[in-house]
Amino acid sequence: MAIPGLEVFQSSASLRGTGSALRQLPVVSKLIDTSSCIGCKACEVACQEWNDLPNAKTVQDGSYQTLPTMTADFWNLIKFHEVDVDGSFNWLMRKDQCMHCADPGCLKACPAPGAIVQYSNGIVDVNPDQCIGCRLCETGCPFDVPRFSEKTGKMSKCTLCVDRTSVGLEPACVKACPTGCLHFGTKANMQAMGNERVKQLKADGYVNAGLYDPAGVGGTGVITVLKHADKPELYGLPKDPKVPKSVRFVKSYLRPLGLLGIGAVVVGLVGHYLRFGPRTPSKGPPPAAPPPVA
Amino acid sequence: MAESLRAVPAHSSADPGILAAQAQEDLVVGDEIVRFRYYTRMVHWGVALTFFLCLFTGLPIWTPIFGWMAPLFGGLQVCRWLHPWTGIAFSVFALLQFVHWAGEMKRTAADKRFTKLKNFLAYMRWEYHDDEVGKFNGGQKSLFWLSSLAALGVLVTGVVLWWPNYFSNPFREASWVLHDVTFVLFFLLVLGHIYLSIAEPGTFAGMVRGTVTKAWARLHHPAWYRDVTGERRR
Repeated sequence: MAIPGLEVFQSSASLRGTGSALRQLPVVSKLIDTSSCIGCKACEVACQEWNDLPNAKTVQDGSYQTLPTMTADFWNLIKFHEVDVDGSFNWLMRKDQCMHCADPGCLKACPAPGAIVQYSNGIVDVNPDQCIGCRLCETGCPFDVPRFSEKTGKMSKCTLCVDRTSVGLEPACVKACPTGCLHFGTKANMQAMGNERVKQLKADGYVNAGLYDPAGVGGTGVITVLKHADKPELYGLPKDPKVPKSVRFVKSYLRPLGLLGIGAVVVGLVGHYLRFGPRTPSKGPPPAAPPPVA
Repeated sequence: MAESLRAVPAHSSADPGILAAQAQEDLVVGDEIVRFRYYTRMVHWGVALTFFLCLFTGLPIWTPIFGWMAPLFGGLQVCRWLHPWTGIAFSVFALLQFVHWAGEMKRTAADKRFTKLKNFLAYMRWEYHDDEVGKFNGGQKSLFWLSSLAALGVLVTGVVLWWPNYFSNPFREASWVLHDVTFVLFFLLVLGHIYLSIAEPGTFAGMVRGTVTKAWARLHHPAWYRDVTGERRR
Protein backbone atom coordinates (compact mmCIF):
# COMPACT_ATOMS: atom_id res chain seq x y z
CA MET A 1 0.00 0.00 0.00
CA ALA A 2 1.12 3.54 -0.58
CA ILE A 3 2.02 5.26 2.65
CA PRO A 4 1.14 8.96 2.76
CA GLY A 5 4.09 11.12 3.65
CA LEU A 6 6.64 8.42 2.86
CA GLU A 7 8.53 9.41 -0.25
CA VAL A 8 9.04 6.78 -2.91
CA PHE A 9 12.72 6.51 -3.79
CA GLN A 10 12.35 4.15 -6.73
CA SER A 11 9.42 2.53 -8.44
CA SER A 12 9.15 -0.50 -10.71
CA ALA A 13 8.86 0.05 -14.47
CA SER A 14 9.25 3.76 -13.94
CA LEU A 15 10.90 5.76 -16.70
CA ARG A 16 11.98 8.41 -14.24
CA GLY A 17 14.15 5.97 -12.33
CA THR A 18 14.97 6.89 -8.79
CA GLY A 19 13.06 9.47 -6.84
CA SER A 20 14.14 12.97 -5.93
CA ALA A 21 14.97 11.98 -2.36
CA LEU A 22 14.03 15.54 -1.46
CA ARG A 23 12.88 14.36 1.91
CA GLN A 24 15.82 12.39 3.19
CA LEU A 25 14.94 9.73 5.70
CA PRO A 26 17.38 7.52 7.54
CA VAL A 27 17.49 4.05 6.05
CA VAL A 28 15.92 1.64 8.49
CA SER A 29 16.82 -1.93 9.19
CA LYS A 30 15.79 -4.95 11.18
CA LEU A 31 18.47 -6.86 13.04
CA ILE A 32 18.00 -10.59 13.54
CA ASP A 33 20.34 -12.23 16.01
CA THR A 34 19.94 -15.90 15.15
CA SER A 35 22.16 -16.85 18.10
CA SER A 36 19.52 -15.75 20.59
CA CYS A 37 16.48 -17.02 18.69
CA ILE A 38 14.70 -19.78 20.62
CA GLY A 39 12.31 -20.72 17.80
CA CYS A 40 9.19 -19.73 19.74
CA LYS A 41 7.49 -18.38 16.59
CA ALA A 42 5.93 -15.44 18.41
CA CYS A 43 7.09 -13.32 15.44
CA GLU A 44 5.11 -15.55 13.05
CA VAL A 45 1.94 -15.06 15.09
CA ALA A 46 2.50 -11.32 15.45
CA CYS A 47 3.02 -11.02 11.68
CA GLN A 48 -0.20 -12.88 10.91
CA GLU A 49 -2.10 -10.81 13.48
CA TRP A 50 -0.89 -7.39 12.48
CA ASN A 51 -1.21 -7.97 8.76
CA ASP A 52 -4.66 -9.61 9.14
CA LEU A 53 -3.42 -12.76 7.43
CA PRO A 54 -5.46 -15.93 7.84
CA ASN A 55 -4.43 -18.76 10.16
CA ALA A 56 -2.07 -21.05 8.35
CA LYS A 57 -2.75 -24.75 8.45
CA THR A 58 0.54 -26.10 9.71
CA VAL A 59 2.36 -28.81 7.81
CA GLN A 60 4.27 -31.52 9.65
CA ASP A 61 7.37 -32.24 7.66
CA GLY A 62 9.53 -33.75 10.37
CA SER A 63 10.86 -30.50 11.76
CA TYR A 64 9.67 -27.71 14.02
CA GLN A 65 8.90 -25.52 11.05
CA THR A 66 5.33 -24.21 10.78
CA LEU A 67 5.27 -24.59 7.01
CA PRO A 68 7.78 -25.96 4.51
CA THR A 69 8.04 -22.53 2.89
CA MET A 70 6.57 -19.03 3.04
CA THR A 71 3.24 -18.52 1.28
CA ALA A 72 1.27 -15.57 -0.05
CA ASP A 73 -0.53 -15.55 3.34
CA PHE A 74 2.55 -16.25 5.48
CA TRP A 75 5.37 -13.74 5.17
CA ASN A 76 7.54 -14.59 8.15
CA LEU A 77 8.71 -18.15 8.63
CA ILE A 78 11.24 -19.40 11.17
CA LYS A 79 13.33 -22.01 9.41
CA PHE A 80 14.92 -24.81 11.41
CA HIS A 81 18.11 -26.38 10.14
CA GLU A 82 19.67 -29.40 11.82
CA VAL A 83 23.25 -29.54 10.58
CA ASP A 84 26.67 -30.85 11.44
CA VAL A 85 29.29 -28.12 11.68
CA ASP A 86 32.85 -29.33 12.14
CA GLY A 87 31.71 -32.50 13.81
CA SER A 88 29.28 -30.92 16.24
CA PHE A 89 25.52 -30.90 15.94
CA ASN A 90 23.89 -27.50 15.41
CA TRP A 91 20.25 -26.55 15.50
CA LEU A 92 20.15 -23.37 13.50
CA MET A 93 17.10 -21.15 13.32
CA ARG A 94 16.64 -18.36 10.88
CA LYS A 95 13.87 -15.88 10.20
CA ASP A 96 12.89 -16.18 6.53
CA GLN A 97 11.25 -13.04 5.17
CA CYS A 98 11.77 -10.28 2.62
CA MET A 99 15.30 -8.92 2.99
CA HIS A 100 14.42 -5.39 1.76
CA CYS A 101 17.48 -5.18 -0.48
CA ALA A 102 18.99 -1.78 -1.23
CA ASP A 103 19.11 -2.94 -4.86
CA PRO A 104 15.91 -4.99 -5.08
CA GLY A 105 15.82 -7.58 -7.87
CA CYS A 106 12.03 -7.85 -7.62
CA LEU A 107 11.64 -4.15 -8.31
CA LYS A 108 14.13 -4.33 -11.16
CA ALA A 109 12.25 -7.24 -12.74
CA CYS A 110 8.73 -5.89 -12.24
CA PRO A 111 7.07 -4.65 -15.46
CA ALA A 112 4.07 -2.95 -13.80
CA PRO A 113 4.64 0.74 -13.05
CA GLY A 114 4.49 1.34 -9.30
CA ALA A 115 3.67 -2.26 -8.35
CA ILE A 116 6.88 -2.51 -6.34
CA VAL A 117 8.27 0.59 -4.68
CA GLN A 118 11.20 1.36 -2.48
CA TYR A 119 10.55 4.15 0.00
CA SER A 120 13.29 6.59 0.81
CA ASN A 121 13.78 4.80 4.15
CA GLY A 122 14.75 1.67 2.20
CA ILE A 123 11.60 -0.39 2.72
CA VAL A 124 10.55 -2.37 -0.37
CA ASP A 125 6.78 -2.64 -0.66
CA VAL A 126 4.15 -4.03 -3.02
CA ASN A 127 1.16 -2.09 -4.33
CA PRO A 128 -1.48 -4.75 -4.96
CA ASP A 129 -3.49 -2.21 -7.00
CA GLN A 130 -0.69 -2.06 -9.56
CA CYS A 131 0.51 -5.67 -9.41
CA ILE A 132 -0.45 -7.59 -12.55
CA GLY A 133 0.51 -11.02 -11.20
CA CYS A 134 3.11 -11.79 -13.87
CA ARG A 135 5.47 -13.33 -11.30
CA LEU A 136 8.63 -11.89 -12.85
CA CYS A 137 9.57 -10.60 -9.38
CA GLU A 138 10.06 -14.24 -8.37
CA THR A 139 12.70 -14.49 -11.07
CA GLY A 140 14.35 -11.27 -9.93
CA CYS A 141 14.59 -12.16 -6.23
CA PRO A 142 17.81 -13.94 -5.18
CA PHE A 143 16.21 -14.93 -1.84
CA ASP A 144 13.08 -16.67 -3.22
CA VAL A 145 10.77 -14.37 -1.27
CA PRO A 146 7.86 -13.05 -3.40
CA ARG A 147 4.82 -15.29 -3.21
CA PHE A 148 2.04 -15.34 -5.77
CA SER A 149 -1.50 -15.78 -4.48
CA GLU A 150 -3.79 -17.83 -6.69
CA LYS A 151 -6.69 -16.29 -4.75
CA THR A 152 -5.91 -12.67 -5.51
CA GLY A 153 -3.70 -13.04 -8.57
CA LYS A 154 -1.19 -10.74 -6.86
CA MET A 155 2.22 -10.99 -5.29
CA SER A 156 2.71 -10.47 -1.57
CA LYS A 157 5.55 -10.40 0.91
CA CYS A 158 6.76 -8.81 4.16
CA THR A 159 6.32 -5.02 4.15
CA LEU A 160 8.69 -4.49 7.08
CA CYS A 161 5.43 -3.32 8.69
CA VAL A 162 5.70 -0.07 6.75
CA ASP A 163 2.33 1.00 8.16
CA ARG A 164 3.81 0.74 11.68
CA THR A 165 7.36 1.84 11.03
CA SER A 166 6.31 4.96 9.11
CA VAL A 167 4.61 6.24 12.26
CA GLY A 168 7.44 5.40 14.61
CA LEU A 169 6.50 1.90 15.77
CA GLU A 170 8.70 -1.14 15.43
CA PRO A 171 7.56 -4.05 13.19
CA ALA A 172 5.06 -6.44 14.77
CA CYS A 173 7.58 -9.30 14.89
CA VAL A 174 10.11 -7.14 16.75
CA LYS A 175 7.40 -6.07 19.19
CA ALA A 176 6.53 -9.69 19.91
CA CYS A 177 10.02 -11.23 20.19
CA PRO A 178 10.52 -12.36 23.81
CA THR A 179 14.30 -12.88 23.74
CA GLY A 180 15.36 -9.61 22.19
CA CYS A 181 16.83 -11.31 19.21
CA LEU A 182 14.95 -8.88 16.93
CA HIS A 183 15.72 -5.18 16.81
CA PHE A 184 14.60 -2.32 14.64
CA GLY A 185 16.18 1.08 14.01
CA THR A 186 18.36 2.98 11.59
CA LYS A 187 20.62 0.79 9.54
CA ALA A 188 23.73 2.36 11.08
CA ASN A 189 22.49 1.61 14.60
CA MET A 190 21.52 -1.94 13.71
CA GLN A 191 24.91 -2.57 12.11
CA ALA A 192 26.64 -1.29 15.22
CA MET A 193 24.46 -3.47 17.44
CA GLY A 194 25.01 -6.49 15.20
CA ASN A 195 28.76 -6.03 15.13
CA GLU A 196 28.78 -5.76 18.91
CA ARG A 197 26.96 -9.10 19.11
CA VAL A 198 29.37 -10.63 16.61
CA LYS A 199 32.26 -9.57 18.86
CA GLN A 200 30.61 -11.32 21.82
CA LEU A 201 30.08 -14.48 19.79
CA LYS A 202 33.66 -14.48 18.62
CA ALA A 203 34.81 -14.07 22.23
CA ASP A 204 32.59 -17.06 23.06
CA GLY A 205 34.47 -19.16 20.52
CA TYR A 206 32.33 -18.72 17.42
CA VAL A 207 35.26 -17.53 15.35
CA ASN A 208 33.26 -17.49 12.14
CA ALA A 209 30.46 -15.35 13.53
CA GLY A 210 29.50 -12.41 11.37
CA LEU A 211 26.82 -10.08 10.12
CA TYR A 212 24.93 -11.15 6.99
CA ASP A 213 24.41 -7.96 4.96
CA PRO A 214 25.26 -9.13 1.43
CA ALA A 215 26.93 -6.51 -0.75
CA GLY A 216 25.78 -8.19 -3.97
CA VAL A 217 22.32 -6.66 -3.53
CA GLY A 218 23.65 -3.39 -2.12
CA GLY A 219 23.16 -4.53 1.45
CA THR A 220 19.81 -5.49 2.95
CA GLY A 221 17.24 -3.86 5.17
CA VAL A 222 17.12 -7.05 7.18
CA ILE A 223 20.54 -7.96 8.56
CA THR A 224 21.29 -11.18 10.34
CA VAL A 225 23.86 -12.18 12.95
CA LEU A 226 25.09 -15.68 12.10
CA LYS A 227 27.30 -17.89 14.25
CA HIS A 228 28.57 -19.48 11.04
CA ALA A 229 28.67 -16.47 8.75
CA ASP A 230 31.32 -18.17 6.60
CA LYS A 231 28.68 -20.71 5.58
CA PRO A 232 25.34 -18.89 5.27
CA GLU A 233 24.08 -21.86 3.21
CA LEU A 234 23.79 -23.76 6.50
CA TYR A 235 20.91 -21.41 7.29
CA GLY A 236 19.46 -21.62 3.80
CA LEU A 237 20.87 -18.22 2.85
CA PRO A 238 22.71 -17.70 -0.45
CA LYS A 239 26.43 -17.09 -0.03
CA ASP A 240 26.67 -14.24 -2.50
CA PRO A 241 23.17 -13.20 -3.60
CA LYS A 242 22.93 -11.03 -6.68
CA VAL A 243 20.15 -9.79 -8.88
CA PRO A 244 20.22 -12.35 -11.72
CA LYS A 245 22.33 -11.25 -14.68
CA SER A 246 19.42 -12.07 -16.99
CA VAL A 247 17.21 -9.51 -15.25
CA ARG A 248 19.86 -6.81 -15.58
CA PHE A 249 20.53 -7.83 -19.18
CA VAL A 250 16.86 -7.67 -20.17
CA LYS A 251 16.18 -4.39 -18.42
CA SER A 252 19.43 -2.51 -19.03
CA TYR A 253 20.48 -3.73 -22.48
CA LEU A 254 17.86 -5.75 -24.31
CA ARG A 255 15.01 -3.25 -23.95
CA PRO A 256 16.91 -0.12 -24.95
CA LEU A 257 18.56 -2.06 -27.79
CA GLY A 258 15.25 -3.54 -28.92
CA LEU A 259 13.55 -0.15 -28.86
CA LEU A 260 16.44 1.37 -30.77
CA GLY A 261 16.34 -1.48 -33.29
CA ILE A 262 12.59 -1.19 -33.85
CA GLY A 263 12.83 2.59 -34.14
CA ALA A 264 15.79 2.40 -36.52
CA VAL A 265 14.01 -0.11 -38.78
CA VAL A 266 10.83 1.99 -38.91
CA VAL A 267 12.84 5.12 -39.79
CA GLY A 268 14.92 3.10 -42.26
CA LEU A 269 11.84 1.75 -44.04
CA VAL A 270 10.30 5.22 -44.31
CA GLY A 271 13.64 6.46 -45.67
CA HIS A 272 13.73 3.56 -48.11
CA TYR A 273 10.29 4.43 -49.44
CA LEU A 274 11.26 8.06 -49.89
CA ARG A 275 14.49 7.05 -51.65
CA PHE A 276 13.27 4.22 -53.87
CA GLY A 277 9.50 4.68 -53.93
CA PRO A 278 7.08 1.93 -54.80
CA ARG A 279 8.13 -0.86 -57.12
CA THR A 280 5.40 -0.91 -59.73
CA PRO A 281 5.18 -3.32 -62.65
CA SER A 282 6.00 -0.47 -65.01
CA LYS A 283 9.38 0.07 -63.33
CA GLY A 284 12.50 -2.01 -63.48
CA PRO A 285 13.11 -5.30 -65.27
CA PRO A 286 11.60 -6.99 -67.13
CA PRO A 287 10.63 -4.05 -69.32
CA ALA A 288 9.01 -5.81 -72.28
CA ALA A 289 5.67 -7.56 -72.12
CA PRO A 290 5.74 -11.18 -73.22
CA PRO A 291 4.00 -12.11 -76.42
CA PRO A 292 0.39 -13.04 -75.72
CA VAL A 293 -0.53 -16.67 -75.97
CA ALA A 294 -3.14 -17.44 -78.54
CA MET B 1 -19.27 -25.64 -49.97
CA ALA B 2 -16.56 -24.47 -52.32
CA GLU B 3 -18.20 -26.26 -55.22
CA SER B 4 -21.55 -24.55 -54.67
CA LEU B 5 -19.83 -21.17 -54.39
CA ARG B 6 -18.11 -21.63 -57.70
CA ALA B 7 -21.36 -22.30 -59.52
CA VAL B 8 -22.15 -18.69 -60.37
CA PRO B 9 -25.72 -18.08 -61.46
CA ALA B 10 -25.95 -16.44 -64.86
CA HIS B 11 -27.70 -13.36 -63.46
CA SER B 12 -25.11 -12.86 -60.68
CA SER B 13 -23.51 -9.46 -60.58
CA ALA B 14 -20.67 -10.76 -58.40
CA ASP B 15 -17.12 -9.97 -59.36
CA PRO B 16 -15.70 -12.96 -61.24
CA GLY B 17 -12.23 -12.37 -59.80
CA ILE B 18 -13.57 -12.46 -56.22
CA LEU B 19 -15.65 -15.55 -56.94
CA ALA B 20 -12.74 -17.37 -58.51
CA ALA B 21 -10.58 -16.49 -55.50
CA GLN B 22 -12.88 -18.37 -53.16
CA ALA B 23 -11.80 -21.92 -53.66
CA GLN B 24 -8.88 -22.33 -56.01
CA GLU B 25 -5.49 -20.70 -56.44
CA ASP B 26 -3.33 -20.17 -59.53
CA LEU B 27 -6.32 -19.52 -61.82
CA VAL B 28 -6.33 -16.91 -64.56
CA VAL B 29 -9.45 -14.72 -64.53
CA GLY B 30 -9.40 -12.09 -67.24
CA ASP B 31 -6.43 -9.86 -66.53
CA GLU B 32 -6.00 -11.25 -63.03
CA ILE B 33 -4.52 -14.34 -61.45
CA VAL B 34 -5.87 -15.87 -58.23
CA ARG B 35 -2.92 -15.91 -55.84
CA PHE B 36 -4.49 -16.68 -52.47
CA ARG B 37 -7.82 -18.42 -52.04
CA TYR B 38 -10.29 -17.64 -49.26
CA TYR B 39 -8.85 -20.16 -46.77
CA THR B 40 -5.26 -18.94 -47.31
CA ARG B 41 -6.32 -15.37 -46.74
CA MET B 42 -8.43 -16.14 -43.66
CA VAL B 43 -5.58 -18.06 -42.05
CA HIS B 44 -3.09 -15.33 -42.91
CA TRP B 45 -5.33 -12.59 -41.47
CA GLY B 46 -5.94 -14.76 -38.42
CA VAL B 47 -2.19 -14.89 -37.94
CA ALA B 48 -1.89 -11.15 -38.50
CA LEU B 49 -4.73 -10.18 -36.15
CA THR B 50 -3.59 -12.44 -33.33
CA PHE B 51 0.02 -11.33 -33.85
CA PHE B 52 -0.98 -7.74 -33.30
CA LEU B 53 -3.15 -8.63 -30.31
CA CYS B 54 -0.08 -10.32 -28.81
CA LEU B 55 2.02 -7.32 -29.72
CA PHE B 56 -0.30 -4.69 -28.28
CA THR B 57 -0.98 -6.65 -25.08
CA GLY B 58 2.72 -7.45 -24.73
CA LEU B 59 4.35 -4.11 -25.49
CA PRO B 60 2.98 -2.31 -22.40
CA ILE B 61 4.36 -5.17 -20.28
CA TRP B 62 7.66 -5.00 -22.16
CA THR B 63 8.31 -1.35 -21.40
CA PRO B 64 6.25 1.46 -19.84
CA ILE B 65 7.03 3.54 -22.94
CA PHE B 66 4.15 1.62 -24.52
CA GLY B 67 2.03 1.85 -21.37
CA TRP B 68 -0.52 3.91 -23.29
CA MET B 69 -1.54 0.76 -25.19
CA ALA B 70 -2.76 -0.96 -22.03
CA PRO B 71 -6.00 1.09 -21.70
CA LEU B 72 -7.01 -0.15 -25.16
CA PHE B 73 -7.65 -3.52 -23.54
CA GLY B 74 -8.80 -2.31 -20.12
CA GLY B 75 -5.49 -1.85 -18.34
CA LEU B 76 -2.24 -3.61 -17.71
CA GLN B 77 -3.87 -6.32 -15.59
CA VAL B 78 -6.12 -7.23 -18.51
CA CYS B 79 -3.12 -7.23 -20.86
CA ARG B 80 -1.31 -9.64 -18.57
CA TRP B 81 -4.36 -11.91 -18.44
CA LEU B 82 -5.09 -11.62 -22.16
CA HIS B 83 -1.55 -11.94 -23.52
CA PRO B 84 -1.14 -15.72 -22.95
CA TRP B 85 -4.52 -16.39 -24.55
CA THR B 86 -3.81 -14.22 -27.57
CA GLY B 87 -0.55 -16.17 -27.71
CA ILE B 88 -2.47 -19.44 -27.83
CA ALA B 89 -4.75 -18.06 -30.55
CA PHE B 90 -1.71 -16.90 -32.50
CA SER B 91 -0.06 -20.30 -32.13
CA VAL B 92 -3.17 -22.02 -33.51
CA PHE B 93 -3.30 -19.77 -36.59
CA ALA B 94 0.47 -19.98 -37.03
CA LEU B 95 0.24 -23.77 -36.97
CA LEU B 96 -2.59 -23.75 -39.53
CA GLN B 97 -0.56 -21.46 -41.75
CA PHE B 98 2.56 -23.57 -41.32
CA VAL B 99 0.74 -26.74 -42.34
CA HIS B 100 -0.92 -24.93 -45.22
CA TRP B 101 2.25 -23.46 -46.68
CA ALA B 102 5.16 -25.68 -45.61
CA GLY B 103 4.95 -27.75 -48.78
CA GLU B 104 5.27 -24.68 -51.00
CA MET B 105 8.23 -23.25 -49.13
CA LYS B 106 11.05 -25.56 -50.22
CA ARG B 107 14.06 -23.53 -51.25
CA THR B 108 15.00 -23.73 -54.93
CA ALA B 109 18.24 -22.68 -56.62
CA ALA B 110 16.61 -19.34 -57.45
CA ASP B 111 15.71 -18.86 -53.77
CA LYS B 112 19.28 -19.54 -52.73
CA ARG B 113 20.46 -16.93 -55.22
CA PHE B 114 17.85 -14.49 -53.90
CA THR B 115 18.97 -14.71 -50.28
CA LYS B 116 22.63 -13.92 -51.01
CA LEU B 117 23.19 -10.60 -49.24
CA LYS B 118 24.42 -8.89 -52.40
CA ASN B 119 21.36 -9.97 -54.36
CA PHE B 120 18.96 -9.14 -51.54
CA LEU B 121 20.42 -5.63 -51.28
CA ALA B 122 20.09 -5.26 -55.05
CA TYR B 123 16.47 -6.42 -54.68
CA MET B 124 15.89 -3.71 -52.09
CA ARG B 125 17.16 -1.17 -54.64
CA TRP B 126 14.56 -2.64 -57.04
CA GLU B 127 17.46 -3.78 -59.25
CA TYR B 128 17.35 -7.54 -58.89
CA HIS B 129 15.49 -9.79 -61.25
CA ASP B 130 15.52 -13.55 -61.53
CA ASP B 131 13.43 -15.22 -64.18
CA GLU B 132 13.19 -18.41 -62.10
CA VAL B 133 11.36 -16.92 -59.11
CA GLY B 134 8.24 -18.98 -58.46
CA LYS B 135 5.08 -18.29 -56.49
CA PHE B 136 7.17 -17.32 -53.46
CA ASN B 137 10.60 -15.76 -53.69
CA GLY B 138 13.59 -16.58 -51.50
CA GLY B 139 12.83 -13.70 -49.16
CA GLN B 140 9.26 -14.83 -48.61
CA LYS B 141 10.37 -18.38 -47.98
CA SER B 142 12.98 -17.18 -45.50
CA LEU B 143 10.30 -15.11 -43.78
CA PHE B 144 8.09 -18.20 -43.61
CA TRP B 145 10.73 -20.40 -41.98
CA LEU B 146 12.11 -17.70 -39.69
CA SER B 147 8.68 -16.60 -38.51
CA SER B 148 7.64 -20.22 -37.95
CA LEU B 149 10.74 -20.67 -35.81
CA ALA B 150 10.01 -17.41 -33.99
CA ALA B 151 6.39 -18.45 -33.38
CA LEU B 152 7.62 -21.69 -31.86
CA GLY B 153 10.16 -19.73 -29.80
CA VAL B 154 7.68 -17.29 -28.30
CA LEU B 155 5.24 -20.15 -27.64
CA VAL B 156 7.72 -22.35 -25.79
CA THR B 157 9.23 -19.50 -23.75
CA GLY B 158 5.76 -18.04 -23.22
CA VAL B 159 4.50 -21.28 -21.69
CA VAL B 160 7.38 -21.19 -19.20
CA LEU B 161 6.55 -17.59 -18.28
CA TRP B 162 2.85 -18.43 -18.03
CA TRP B 163 3.28 -21.48 -15.78
CA PRO B 164 6.46 -20.63 -13.85
CA ASN B 165 5.63 -23.09 -11.04
CA TYR B 166 6.65 -25.99 -13.22
CA PHE B 167 10.07 -24.64 -14.14
CA SER B 168 13.23 -23.90 -12.22
CA ASN B 169 14.68 -20.41 -12.15
CA PRO B 170 17.36 -20.90 -14.84
CA PHE B 171 14.58 -21.94 -17.25
CA ARG B 172 12.50 -18.95 -16.27
CA GLU B 173 15.43 -16.58 -16.73
CA ALA B 174 16.36 -18.05 -20.10
CA SER B 175 12.74 -17.95 -21.23
CA TRP B 176 12.42 -14.33 -20.27
CA VAL B 177 15.52 -13.35 -22.25
CA LEU B 178 14.60 -15.51 -25.24
CA HIS B 179 10.95 -14.38 -25.26
CA ASP B 180 12.20 -10.79 -25.51
CA VAL B 181 14.91 -11.44 -28.10
CA THR B 182 12.59 -13.55 -30.24
CA PHE B 183 9.77 -11.04 -30.12
CA VAL B 184 12.03 -8.15 -31.15
CA LEU B 185 13.48 -10.08 -34.11
CA PHE B 186 10.02 -11.37 -35.06
CA PHE B 187 8.60 -7.85 -34.96
CA LEU B 188 11.42 -6.57 -37.17
CA LEU B 189 10.70 -9.34 -39.68
CA VAL B 190 7.00 -8.46 -39.66
CA LEU B 191 7.78 -4.77 -40.12
CA GLY B 192 9.81 -5.62 -43.22
CA HIS B 193 7.05 -7.94 -44.44
CA ILE B 194 4.36 -5.28 -44.10
CA TYR B 195 6.60 -2.65 -45.64
CA LEU B 196 7.26 -4.70 -48.79
CA SER B 197 3.55 -5.44 -49.18
CA ILE B 198 3.02 -1.68 -49.30
CA ALA B 199 6.14 -0.68 -51.23
CA GLU B 200 5.34 -3.19 -53.95
CA PRO B 201 1.82 -2.17 -54.97
CA GLY B 202 -0.51 -4.98 -55.88
CA THR B 203 0.92 -7.27 -53.21
CA PHE B 204 -1.48 -6.26 -50.47
CA ALA B 205 -4.46 -6.81 -52.79
CA GLY B 206 -3.27 -10.37 -53.31
CA MET B 207 -3.91 -11.04 -49.65
CA VAL B 208 -7.16 -9.05 -49.43
CA ARG B 209 -8.95 -9.60 -52.73
CA GLY B 210 -7.03 -12.77 -53.42
CA THR B 211 -5.99 -11.81 -56.91
CA VAL B 212 -3.02 -10.07 -58.49
CA THR B 213 -2.66 -8.53 -61.91
CA LYS B 214 -0.78 -10.34 -64.63
CA ALA B 215 1.70 -7.47 -64.80
CA TRP B 216 2.38 -7.85 -61.07
CA ALA B 217 2.88 -11.60 -61.37
CA ARG B 218 5.20 -11.20 -64.36
CA LEU B 219 7.37 -8.71 -62.45
CA HIS B 220 7.54 -10.38 -59.06
CA HIS B 221 7.05 -14.07 -59.73
CA PRO B 222 7.96 -14.77 -63.39
CA ALA B 223 8.23 -18.57 -63.13
CA TRP B 224 4.86 -18.76 -61.37
CA TYR B 225 3.40 -16.44 -64.00
CA ARG B 226 4.61 -18.75 -66.78
CA ASP B 227 3.28 -21.84 -64.99
CA VAL B 228 -0.14 -20.33 -64.43
CA THR B 229 -0.63 -18.69 -67.81
CA GLY B 230 1.24 -21.21 -69.92
CA GLU B 231 3.21 -18.41 -71.55
CA ARG B 232 6.66 -19.18 -72.82
CA ARG B 233 9.84 -17.71 -71.41
CA ARG B 234 10.87 -14.58 -73.22
